[in-house]
Amino acid sequence: MARAIWSGSIAFGMVSIPVKLYGATESKDISFHLLHATCGTRLKQLRWCPTDEQEVPWSEIVRGYEYAKDQYVTLTDEDFEQLPLPSKHTIELNAFVKEDEIDPVYYERSYHLAPDERAEKAYTLLIRTLEKKGLTAIANITIRRKEQLCALRPKEGALMLETLYYPDEIRVRPEMDLEKVKISDRELEMAFALIDLLRKPFDPEEYKDHYREALNQLIEAKLEGREVVESPAPKESKVIDLADALRRSVEAAKKGQPKRAARPKARPAARRRARKVS
Amino acid sequence: MPAAIPAAGSVRDVVKQLDAARDRVVLHADGHDVTVSNLDKALWPGTPTRRPFTKRHLLRYLARVSRWMLPHLADRPLFVTRFPGGITGKSFYQKHWDDPPAFARTVAIYSSHGETDGEYLICENLPTLLWLGQMASLELHAWYSRTDPEPDATARGRRFTGSEAELERSVLNYPDFVVFDLDPYDYSGREARGAEPELHRRAFTRTRRLALQVREQLEGLGLTTYVKTSGRTGLHLYLPIVRDLDFDAARDVAETIAKHALRERPREVTIEWAVERLRGKIFFDYNQNTRGKSLAVPYSTRRHPNATVSTPVRWEELERIYPTDFTIRTVPDRLEADGDPWDGILSAKQDLGTILGVGGAA
Repeated sequence: MARAIWSGSIAFGMVSIPVKLYGATESKDISFHLLHATCGTRLKQLRWCPTDEQEVPWSEIVRGYEYAKDQYVTLTDEDFEQLPLPSKHTIELNAFVKEDEIDPVYYERSYHLAPDERAEKAYTLLIRTLEKKGLTAIANITIRRKEQLCALRPKEGALMLETLYYPDEIRVRPEMDLEKVKISDRELEMAFALIDLLRKPFDPEEYKDHYREALNQLIEAKLEGREVVESPAPKESKVIDLADALRRSVEAAKKGQPKRAARPKARPAARRRARKVS
Repeated sequence: MPAAIPAAGSVRDVVKQLDAARDRVVLHADGHDVTVSNLDKALWPGTPTRRPFTKRHLLRYLARVSRWMLPHLADRPLFVTRFPGGITGKSFYQKHWDDPPAFARTVAIYSSHGETDGEYLICENLPTLLWLGQMASLELHAWYSRTDPEPDATARGRRFTGSEAELERSVLNYPDFVVFDLDPYDYSGREARGAEPELHRRAFTRTRRLALQVREQLEGLGLTTYVKTSGRTGLHLYLPIVRDLDFDAARDVAETIAKHALRERPREVTIEWAVERLRGKIFFDYNQNTRGKSLAVPYSTRRHPNATVSTPVRWEELERIYPTDFTIRTVPDRLEADGDPWDGILSAKQDLGTILGVGGAA
């Protein structure tokens, strides 16, 4: 399994159960890089200061909260660290509810909760209890500096943790006035008949992302046809013919290597492989 | 300095002494004494079908292949990986030696790491090779450059100490080869989590195909390459060159060829070391063309359970061979029967500038 994104413990009365948290879902969307269409170079994002007309290094960056138009209060890393986060390494169970009392709109993300070594017993006891009582636990957890409401529920002999939105994060729905709409019995019957036709148990395996599949096929086809655009390294122009490319390498080397003058001395790729044995 | 090639008679003599010895003996080899001990120490553990390979096997192997191996080591700074407890035990690199024996040549070279000069060993005679074997140096790595500027780099400096700049001006900054390390990261599915991929047929077949393609393309440009098994999962290609390109230039040449291969086989080849880009592909590593780095030398043993050896092969045999064909048991016979396919590699040096028709090439 992937690496745990969080570790800590479930606090339940006097009991503490060490657990690890793993993401339960992942987006399979294909992501793209932005290239300059005319030369195929990968675009770089600059953090640009229009006042000083220069790129700004991370060391000179702070976060600003815009409290009025163009008016900010700034917060530094130290400010953030001072904030009280009571549940930093604990999942504090503070209520037990029925699962169907939680409206699906509150669910944000799903995680698998796995017990640490030697915590299996307490972990299992908690699951059994929740299963027997048909209950879901409500708790708080802090993930990446953000305290979140969450629900712990047993699923197939393990615990799942779903982070929940806070009520003020749920938007009010747009106004609509449906009281005066009239539906006849005949219309209702027709709608029932249509639904009955399509009624079946939910099987997620039946559904797939057709867009992503088509996109994958397109990319594969381009690779197959070698329609590959190479982003030129900053030091080198695009070359197709091997003889030509080699000639340029050797030529550059013999001419006092202007292109290599700009190359950083420490070669991260070379350094990183120092321990490899071939 | 050329290697001191031991006579067939003195090799036979060393092997005889090793066969007769108990656990410890002073070997007389080419006029020098080398004390070897722990001869029955297992360096490659046994399997249900074969007894372990011991230090005695290793020393016997080194003696028998020395005639063909020493020319590839001569005049080159060496570093080794030692496995005092055998391949399943701890291992460590050794570059510098405090008190090497009198028969071993050393050379002082500036090290940018410690910002001082360090003594490197050069292995060019049988006693030194046996002494390295005694210390369980199972993997030998020699620089691609060497200290003697004759005959093709006479304009380069011979001072290797004092500063990085001095070393960069010296002949040690001019390699004899452009090297390509083709390393399949095609997993068989049986590896432990986080382990490097193990050898298997499909991966080797693909690596072989890539090697043949690179060879054919370079042959088309009039360039001759040499191939050897890495002794583990991959293949090493060497392109011997006249020493007028420094390491940076050699790496540029290798990078150009690697990128060309990547463009031709984008789904099989990768040139990126990031692990997620390696999976299922052949890593075309051009970064080995760096001063002070080195692939295992020809005929170096490897840390593979079968006691495989990094073995030069003829291009014509590449289709028929498999890395585990070459072990400390089989390679000496192969050499005695057919000689070294890489024999004379240094006299096959090629002037890239002239061959490629680079304008103004001297």
